[in-house]
Amino acid sequence: MKHFDNFSRPLEYISPMDKHLRTVIRKWADEEVIPFRRRFDEDWKEHKLIEPAFDKLMGNKGLGLQKALFPEELGGWGLGHSDNTFMISYALSEEVGRADTGMAVAFLVTLWPLTTILIEPHVNWRLAKEFAPMFCDCDRAVFSALTMTEPQGGADIENIGLLGGKTLRTTARIDGDEWVINGHKLWPTNSAGVSRLFGVPCTTKPGSNDRDDFAIIFVPTDTKGVSEGNPYEKAGMAADKNSDIWFEDVRVPSWYRAHGPGLDARTFLEIIPWGQVASCGFLTGAMLNLYERLYEFVSTRTYCNSVLKENDAVAGVIGRIAGDIDICRILGHEAARIGDRRNMPYGNELGSEETIGKIRNIKDFISDKSVEIFGRAMDVLGAYGPDRNWDIEKHWRDVKIIQLWMGGKQLCQMESARYFFDCKTL
Amino acid sequence: MSVELDKLFIYPKHWVNEDAHSFAATIRQWADKEIISDRLNYQQNYSRLFPEKSRKLGIDIGLKRLVLPDKYDGYGWNSPSYAPAILTAFTEIGRGDAAIGLVNALEYAIFATITMQPNLKYDLCDALAQRYFSDKLKTPTAILPGAGLNNQKTPLFRGMSVLAGIADDDNESVISGTNLRPFGFGKSADLLCVVCAQSNGKICLAFVPADSLGVKKGLPIKQTGLDASENTDISFESVRIPKEYVISRDGAVEELYVWLNLLLGGVSIGAAMNFFEILTDWAQNRTIKGGMPMKENPLCASVLATVAQEITSARLLCYSLSQIMADPFAWGGIGGEGIYTIARMIGSSVQDSAINALNRGMELMGSAGYAKEWHVEKHWRDIKTVQACLCGIAADIPVKMDIARFFYDCKEVCS
Repeated sequence: MKHFDNFSRPLEYISPMDKHLRTVIRKWADEEVIPFRRRFDEDWKEHKLIEPAFDKLMGNKGLGLQKALFPEELGGWGLGHSDNTFMISYALSEEVGRADTGMAVAFLVTLWPLTTILIEPHVNWRLAKEFAPMFCDCDRAVFSALTMTEPQGGADIENIGLLGGKTLRTTARIDGDEWVINGHKLWPTNSAGVSRLFGVPCTTKPGSNDRDDFAIIFVPTDTKGVSEGNPYEKAGMAADKNSDIWFEDVRVPSWYRAHGPGLDARTFLEIIPWGQVASCGFLTGAMLNLYERLYEFVSTRTYCNSVLKENDAVAGVIGRIAGDIDICRILGHEAARIGDRRNMPYGNELGSEETIGKIRNIKDFISDKSVEIFGRAMDVLGAYGPDRNWDIEKHWRDVKIIQLWMGGKQLCQMESARYFFDCKTL
Repeated sequence: MSVELDKLFIYPKHWVNEDAHSFAATIRQWADKEIISDRLNYQQNYSRLFPEKSRKLGIDIGLKRLVLPDKYDGYGWNSPSYAPAILTAFTEIGRGDAAIGLVNALEYAIFATITMQPNLKYDLCDALAQRYFSDKLKTPTAILPGAGLNNQKTPLFRGMSVLAGIADDDNESVISGTNLRPFGFGKSADLLCVVCAQSNGKICLAFVPADSLGVKKGLPIKQTGLDASENTDISFESVRIPKEYVISRDGAVEELYVWLNLLLGGVSIGAAMNFFEILTDWAQNRTIKGGMPMKENPLCASVLATVAQEITSARLLCYSLSQIMADPFAWGGIGGEGIYTIARMIGSSVQDSAINALNRGMELMGSAGYAKEWHVEKHWRDIKTVQACLCGIAADIPVKMDIARFFYDCKEVCS
């Protein structure tokens, strides 16, 4: 029997850590998540089942992945210095995503705001030292969140290329040696009381589209004035909690700003490729699991009294599904490699229009293919397609969410057009 | 929204008589009052409210009696000429709740095989009408052909495995089969309409009261959508039913498929139309690029257009099918090869269009698309569940084989 590892990936791109990381995470997935995930939907509020699995993935008593980006000197693994950070992130996303994309996003989003201060060349050592104990010295899973979306228009915040943060209504003003933050955010992954640290995109001058006025400020969630709502109920991704967050005269030290005028906007632009590459990994991880489950179904169930996979017409359908998985996996690795080339002479800056346009384009493509093939696979299963015991429907609900987040499909199309066609006003 | 849906999603209104329009208007009021205006409560208390809302529609409004002939105190919509009317009614139900649409579609389709002119089967109607059309809400379901298991050679209905066997024993028929999956509502079903194979391979329909000795229901199955239709696998351990509970005439199983494709087409279109209402509101009131209403942006407008296009074309296709069904004799009857093939073809296209409309429209709604509070994701899950179950097995391949057989006179292909 073929294995899902048979799906292609450009081997010359693979990080030396890849095999080891995948082995341990796959073991974790097979033992701690996959046997329980069919009950995750009912656990969306409490996380009684989900939390122990997170602890074993992220906490020091488990695999300790939450400290991966921190420098070795501070107790981390030093991945922020690696030339393969994107490829490693992709492998992590894919392996965790194979088990549960909701867990994958909650885990990777923890690293997401930290990329602004822990990835070369933008390491903020003072903040790294400040927050390292929170993540590196804890036995249990510790989460963080990047609070982007605002009530008046989510994707606008991410469309910094055009709007430059002009629509942001979460404000930060300096008062002595403190930032005072006010605003309302929606939907961040790892909200609803999950996180210990927020990265908060905000503006120091409301209505300004000057990138110097855009700020990312770190806010420990136990700071006075921070409040969070109850988790939203969603179509899927029970392991990812989202809620409203309010900042009311929240005061943090002035040096909790990621970098300062200009560089904050730049690192925010760089956040987008991280999120999109991880999304690609979640999607192809789910696809690998789709293949496993579909393989079993089409090998054991019959149409015209022969196993489904041996019927020429059905083979046409499942062949296309497998072909699409193969292509998407190659593309996902390519997206990751675009990110890792940022420091190469032939690479591009992470926040450049080219990098963002190309990576968003790949994420858009893989998202569309995921939605398509999961829907198609459910139809192949027919009456068993909507059955949770076959797992495919769970991924079908989850991959749709991935397609829609981070500005969704249309923003991906705009970024792609902006780069390839030199659009000026999109 | 200010514009009436029927003025946007135009359809051949003259195919539907005044009584039917009036009945559909009543269902629309039921959907608006009982479900759409109370969605959050309905969502949070589904298991309690589903029977209550179903009762109002089925018994108080009288939907359940549509398929019954006058003789049984029915409304007498038991003629194929009512197909456009019944489609109109089911579109309105789907706009409210696809699960209520499904249970009623199953009931109408199942009973259409015994009440519909010219195949009215009085002996079975006599036996079942009192029992299943009283003032107490009853739930019927169907067990259709589907996937077989490897190393088991089974009788086939157009390539799909028929896993229930039936044999005569004196005045009774005896049904056997293990772990058969109903279309939905297996857990609560009172009556099971089972596609069975006789020992000579002939396929028939058996009406099995769920309380018959030897009917075993399994554990509840959690599924993507249609939350109220709690399903389970059902086994038949030498279940005995009167012989008159079996319909062996040619075309009976095909008729069941034809009605299900029409009515579930209506249900999914109705759900998609309610999604359209929600999406329209969203696109009007949400802004992008710092101030422009979403619907005024050309890219968003093109996606919105696709949604409207899919729903409109699906609705028109369904009405075309219903009108063909309304005068079926030129085409060999409802269960004849022609109408069966067209129904499967249109049914498949309509479900594709409905899910595509949802998938595309959700792209504009971002997180509101998958948040339960916006009620979009429910329609999306429900339609997908209907689509997958209607496929039966192997995606749309069985439908494609039906089409190939009909149009190209294939003799061997997957039959």
